[in-house]
Amino acid sequence: MPALLEIDALESGYGKTTVLHGIGLAVADGERLGLFGPNGHGKTTLLRTISGLLKPTRGSIRFGGEDIGGMEPRRIVAKGLIHVAQANQLFPELTVAENLALAAYGRGTTASEAATLARIEALFPRLAERRGQTCRTLSGGERQMVAIGVGLMGAPRLLMLDEPTLGLSPRLKDELCEAILKIAADGLPLIVVEQDVEFLASVTDRLVMLEHGQTGIEVSSGDGLDHDRIMDLYFGRHGQ
Amino acid sequence: MMQDVAASILVSGLVLGSLYAMMATGLTLVWSTLGIFNFAHGVFMTIGAYIAWQVGVAEAWSLGPALGLAVAAAVLAGVGCLVEMTLIRPFIGRRDQVMICVITTLAAMTIIQNGVLLTWGPRLKQLPPLAAGTFDLLGVTISAHEAVIVALAPATLLALWLFLHRTRLGAAVRAVGQNPEAATLMGLNVRAVYALAFALSAALAAAAGVLLGSIRFISPELGAEPLVKALIVAIFGGLGSIVGTIGGAYVIGLFEALSTYFIGLYATPAVLFAAMIAVLMLRPTGLFGKR
Repeated sequence: MPALLEIDALESGYGKTTVLHGIGLAVADGERLGLFGPNGHGKTTLLRTISGLLKPTRGSIRFGGEDIGGMEPRRIVAKGLIHVAQANQLFPELTVAENLALAAYGRGTTASEAATLARIEALFPRLAERRGQTCRTLSGGERQMVAIGVGLMGAPRLLMLDEPTLGLSPRLKDELCEAILKIAADGLPLIVVEQDVEFLASVTDRLVMLEHGQTGIEVSSGDGLDHDRIMDLYFGRHGQ
Repeated sequence: MMQDVAASILVSGLVLGSLYAMMATGLTLVWSTLGIFNFAHGVFMTIGAYIAWQVGVAEAWSLGPALGLAVAAAVLAGVGCLVEMTLIRPFIGRRDQVMICVITTLAAMTIIQNGVLLTWGPRLKQLPPLAAGTFDLLGVTISAHEAVIVALAPATLLALWLFLHRTRLGAAVRAVGQNPEAATLMGLNVRAVYALAFALSAALAAAAGVLLGSIRFISPELGAEPLVKALIVAIFGGLGSIVGTIGGAYVIGLFEALSTYFIGLYATPAVLFAAMIAVLMLRPTGLFGKR
């Protein structure tokens, strides 16, 4: 079976600064992939290149067999490849309901939209209470819930979450982890970027480390990722 | 007697405020959506007035003032789109986009103003009043024309508010202004929204130009002074907030009417600026501005 997302020898960056040096990665349909690695090593840049915010300078990105490298972001979104960006990427003066409704603008039917909305509000009951509130007045955790909700409203075939638990309290983190597990249980393929490898292992099937803009060590989430192993991965003590 | 004075000051303030609101709201719409100042906003008013004259007036095509207004608004919506696509779009997203767009829209202003001069000549023109006769408002007899201005401006701006706050396309316009990158990731057509905001803004400018052209003489410089006024109103009301701009317009209109009556026409601009400086020192975000 061909992979849902196939990335080959991808190079990308900002202006003259190259951040990604030949990334190769594949996500199968139904798979949940975790990306981790130190800050500034290209995780967010990779997502931004996949979603079309950055144009790749070399290499290819194929989604559902189609080359999407350098395509306009809204065309990529229309294909169901949805990127939920890091921290508060919302419209502060729009209400929760308006944020969610806009994400479904021009996609699907009114019935499918209502069904998705009901699913999101079941996933995050808090959002149902906050429907008429502007996003500016929400807490960090609630904003993250709206952001994920916005992603789901776009009818994703592959959902990319960039550090969904950044800056959240442990309790909220658990709540979000549970929601992400539920989303994954529906069979939706995911790419999740996180610093917290233990959290990441609990929501994904496979972990790939991104280091210096290249794909590094790959581990299966089931492979008893203990604390020492993670420290090894981060600080490179392996082999000593 | 006192009541008559108060009522006539109020009415004259409402007329001024309505004009200012019509002139400034389009400027704010573009600022809050694209993050640039459109210095061609004044000449949009000028061409709006000339087109309404060309279409509506007896010496020209004589199709009536209402059609003149409608055609002016429609043509200007197209002109707004064109200006956005040619002079703004290529520079959006660059770090120096604000400065570049100051230059490009100033260039558009000069080119359009001289184009108007070439097309319609330097002779002054005038639009007939939008309505004939007189009208009784708050016990003050005003011309029906002023009554139309006082009614038309709030109705138009209310329609704009309803569009922005009660329709999904309007929400998309606000969303793009608040966070263009999030709008892009949501799959919204950001460029089309920019063009739409420019088109709406230019159509509003055309309507403002028609109102102006029926109380002043139309010349190629018709929009020059109103552009400055619109900038002042937009900054005073709170940059980026349409409701703030409209509120600011009426506050300035009423203040001007009061000052003109009690202090006199010549000192009024100075008094107005002093008051505005004082307000902006106390509230740097403008009278109704947030943040």
